[in-house]
Amino acid sequence: MKNWIQAFSVIDFISAGILVTAVSINTFKRIEPCVKAYTLNSWLLSALTAVAAFMTGEVHLYAASVVTFLSKGILIPMFLRRIVRRIKATHDVEPYISNALSLTISGILVVVVYAALKEGIFVTGLSKNVLQISIAVIFIGLFIMITRRKAIIQVIGLLFMENGLFLAGFALTFGMPLIMELGVLFDMLMGVIILGIFVIQIKKSFASSDLDKLTILKG
Amino acid sequence: MVLILIIPLVTAFICYMLKSAKLVGYVSLAGAVALASVALPVIMSAISTPTEMMNGVLYMDALSGYIMALVIFLSLASAVYSIEYLEHEMKVGLTGARGVRRYYALFHLFIFTMLLVTTANNLALMWIAIEATTIVSALLIGLGFSKRSLAIEAAWKYIILCTVGITFALLGIFITYYATTAVMGGQGALNWTTIRSIAPKLNPSTMKLAFIFILVGYGTKAGLAPVHNWLPDAHSEAPSPISALLSGILLNTAFYGIMRFVTITDPSTGSVFTGNLLILFGLISMGISSVFILVQVNYKRLLAYSSIEHMGIISLGIGIGGPVGVYGALLHILNHALSKPLMFFVSGRIQAHYGSTKIENVGGVLSSMPLMGTLTFIGVLSLAGTPPFNIFISEFTVLQAAVLKGLWVVAGLFLLFAAFVFYGMLSGFGRMLFRGKETPKVEENEKGSNRDVASGFSVSMSSAFNKGIMILLASLIVVFGFTVPGFIDSTIRICIDILGVK
Repeated sequence: MKNWIQAFSVIDFISAGILVTAVSINTFKRIEPCVKAYTLNSWLLSALTAVAAFMTGEVHLYAASVVTFLSKGILIPMFLRRIVRRIKATHDVEPYISNALSLTISGILVVVVYAALKEGIFVTGLSKNVLQISIAVIFIGLFIMITRRKAIIQVIGLLFMENGLFLAGFALTFGMPLIMELGVLFDMLMGVIILGIFVIQIKKSFASSDLDKLTILKG
Repeated sequence: MVLILIIPLVTAFICYMLKSAKLVGYVSLAGAVALASVALPVIMSAISTPTEMMNGVLYMDALSGYIMALVIFLSLASAVYSIEYLEHEMKVGLTGARGVRRYYALFHLFIFTMLLVTTANNLALMWIAIEATTIVSALLIGLGFSKRSLAIEAAWKYIILCTVGITFALLGIFITYYATTAVMGGQGALNWTTIRSIAPKLNPSTMKLAFIFILVGYGTKAGLAPVHNWLPDAHSEAPSPISALLSGILLNTAFYGIMRFVTITDPSTGSVFTGNLLILFGLISMGISSVFILVQVNYKRLLAYSSIEHMGIISLGIGIGGPVGVYGALLHILNHALSKPLMFFVSGRIQAHYGSTKIENVGGVLSSMPLMGTLTFIGVLSLAGTPPFNIFISEFTVLQAAVLKGLWVVAGLFLLFAAFVFYGMLSGFGRMLFRGKETPKVEENEKGSNRDVASGFSVSMSSAFNKGIMILLASLIVVFGFTVPGFIDSTIRICIDILGVK
């Protein structure tokens, strides 16, 4: 089985899936598919952890995989879907730039990250692709945050950044000690819940979830 | 040490459960007093002998004791000030009993998270605590008593920017962990004490990368330019006692994270690398904030930009390094934590009196509110760096360090920016203090007819408390302008040893 995993480079395969789900955000015109892409992304992240756990036989990785699946794969998507329904913003994402341009820029980002980390200082236990993909996912998440107008998409961009971050930590050191990882996850969960509350508040007090309206404070 | 962390949690819980809105302020004050009395002996012993707890997850030495003492002192001051502030907000009808209970519960949770930052030895735990301060304080800013939509805008910017920033800091921690696994083999280390003991063996280029991520991440939280955009909004829209906490101590706890990281980065990379980065960010912060201070029309935002300037000076002091520079920076942390809360407290009362945060709508504070006017005058002179007030001493020490090291360009830019700030602060607040008397305008909010209530605070026990704490802060500012008390001086010297400065 272990040989089988290596022979078919399952790890590379799954991490490529993580990259594709992140890039796909650029193409969606509606918010619901973005939530779905995030869900898929989290499931793949959890699967990758499970495969690595199987390969190395480390118990804490199995636990990390389960926790990731429960929190990022089920809880957060459920919460996001509820907010999308609450603010009735199932429709347009309204990016500042066209989808084609946005997709192109994401592609360029991936190439730049690959080129920059070609001769890195890091020697990772896993395939080298994992680290490069993780950094690329972080940047794509950031890119989505700065080019989208809807508050909820910014939250999704942030969540993609965090998934990329977890992947990076995983690629570098097989993750931190479990208890710390749980603490980080808990923080992120709280953060997402509070961001969700603010999304609803923004909708209430600005009668729109466009962040364009949030420009009163400046200077 | 654990008791220090438990008390604010218990207080928060009681405040949330309590039904009476009148009583809850005093309960919160009692909690803050209990916290201070428990913490004082612990801090005293930690300054002389570092202590570890819970398998080294928690750790206290002089540096954490110093920052923790500031957290506790300011939370006490802010708890005292909050009582009358909230009584006033309730009377004007800007908040209800529920809002007050929520406010106090979050207030103590906020203190808990900051105390956790100062006691954390584990770098990941410190990250968790710093992120938790963001989450809790975003809710406090979002309470927004004066104008809800503005408060939400400020809180949204705050939480998004700081969370993104701090995500990069976590990447920095992952990289550090990676660097320690290379040295220790197998399981790496996250405890600061362990990492410090192996610091010289860490790979320099890995640590350089980690430090850059940490500086960007925690620097966002510490309000260093150019990632400071959240700060003026958050500080001007938060309730005044919270602005005082944000500015006086939250920025410093984030900077404390950077200082801890400098000590484990320096042995492998050499102090020139971290020093230059800190000097660069310090000067950018001072430069950007001084320009905004010159053109500012809103006095709460003026104070917020002044915070960015002072964080720049602290960063500069640590960056220049050497015993003199670090001494100046640590003293500046203390001095800024005295002057800025005083100014936010006073500006909260000015805002209540005039119903506006615009400088043009406020005039003749000195004649219409003599006590507040005098305190504002002391505070603004101190913040502008005028002798004989406290901030002058620490700014002068940082400048002296730059000159001693022969960094003439840095010293010159420092003086230039300080002059801008001096003019901007004094002209802004000078207009408010001395310009001809104007009739107080009530804010143009929906709840219109509250002219009689808004025109002044009532005379009561809470009012006496409120004035007392401001007078105490002002007198400390004056005293520290003449002398640095012996026990503070010796604590700072121990901190310099901990930071590994020679």
